[in-house]
Amino acid sequence: MKPRALQAVSVGVALLVWEGAARAGLVDPLFVPAPTAVAIALRRVLGEALPALGRTLLTALVAYALAVCLGVGLGLIIGARRYLGEVLSPFLIAAYGVPKILVLPWIILILGTGAAPAVLYGTLHGFFPVLLLVIGGVRDVDRSWLTVARAFGARPWQLYSRVILPAIVPAVLAGMRLGIVFALLGVLVVEMFAGVRGMGAELAARANAFQAPELFAATLLVSTVSIAIVLALDALGDRLSRWR
Amino acid sequence: MLAPRAAIGLGVVLAWEVAARAGDPLLYVPPSRVLPALARLLALRSFPSLPEHLGLTLREILVAYVLAVGVGLAVGFVLGLWPELGRIYAPLLGALYAVPSVVWYPSLMLLFGLDAASKIAFGFLLGVYPIVVAVLAGVRQVSRELVTMARAFGAGRARVFTKVVLPSMLATLTGGLRAGLALTVVGVIVGEVLGSKAGLGYLINYAYGLLRTADYVALVLLTLGIVLAIDGAAVLAERRARRWT
Repeated sequence: MKPRALQAVSVGVALLVWEGAARAGLVDPLFVPAPTAVAIALRRVLGEALPALGRTLLTALVAYALAVCLGVGLGLIIGARRYLGEVLSPFLIAAYGVPKILVLPWIILILGTGAAPAVLYGTLHGFFPVLLLVIGGVRDVDRSWLTVARAFGARPWQLYSRVILPAIVPAVLAGMRLGIVFALLGVLVVEMFAGVRGMGAELAARANAFQAPELFAATLLVSTVSIAIVLALDALGDRLSRWR
Repeated sequence: MLAPRAAIGLGVVLAWEVAARAGDPLLYVPPSRVLPALARLLALRSFPSLPEHLGLTLREILVAYVLAVGVGLAVGFVLGLWPELGRIYAPLLGALYAVPSVVWYPSLMLLFGLDAASKIAFGFLLGVYPIVVAVLAGVRQVSRELVTMARAFGAGRARVFTKVVLPSMLATLTGGLRAGLALTVVGVIVGEVLGSKAGLGYLINYAYGLLRTADYVALVLLTLGIVLAIDGAAVLAERRARRWT
């Protein structure tokens, strides 16, 4: 059998076992509802969840656009200056790695509980992976290409548009792929933490109300959409790398 | 490198001081007020129960990481050493990674409650993935020729594993173990801030809720220090492990 078919079979078997366990009373349906119960709940939550998901995606999109623009722009600047990159790298790596949720209460304190903190926090999450990957991409551009281009009289902007930008496409794409997941994560965290309207608040509310089938259905919805977005970006990346 | 870095650090602190003094003292805390708050925090005067909260957070991180390493290595080696299984299940795991991890946290809170178990589960979930990925990537780096050669010279499966497979994948593996630890720490702290009854994240929320901003900033700095110390220890351990090969 093909891997695809085997994957489908595995998921199907897992769902059947889960359904059986729930029906036989091996797991408490209050906490682990059967897949069929989740499917029924999905139809019920769709009316509330879709607008919430729309808000979340829109906020995440704004944050993502900001993160990619800032990340690519600053990445080009820092990456082209080897010394600057080396001086800044421990700060940037630390900022990428530490739990950013520590500053979230302060962001909420300053910006309140509207869309602004969600955009800021989503940008903060999406920005660093893009920045670090672009810096690495620019730094690793083959020096001899630049020398050759200069020898043939390329101007600085031509160096960027003809040599550096095409060379860093893979790094930018890798950053964009990570960035969208992180930006979405940031927005969801703010919604969960501060009750900002959106999918994160929706999930938190279902969990607090012990509505397990609805919670699982809403979780399924967000994760499916998120996987679809990443797959779409992958397809876009394939096309772009062929163009290169 | 050290001088410009110190200058940047100093510049940030100075800018923070100047900017914070101009703002509302309830919202903006300059370093000159953070230091006394940090001293009060460490002298256990702001939160006498700090050691218990800190201990709980560290225990959660430890348990979550032990689970992540155990499960991550097991899953990674099973999928890596049996490529037929890896081809089927590695992509499924990859798809799950395209989901923002925090989506799972409300379900974990529902399943495991507000206590330590849900934080351990979330830290585990974040930490296990880079370990699995590192094992899969590491196994692929092992050269077939070396394995064949070792077998030809009469090495058994166990000897091939310890003498050939493990040394040639060590760098990738330790990198994954370190990334897994960093993410486990993030997971536990995020879990605590999003909803808990004890731990450093709970204290941070508590200080923020009472608008004790200086205490909040001091707690954040303490937590950052612990996070960076854990990662620093991981770097040292990684270097030692690499020297061993």
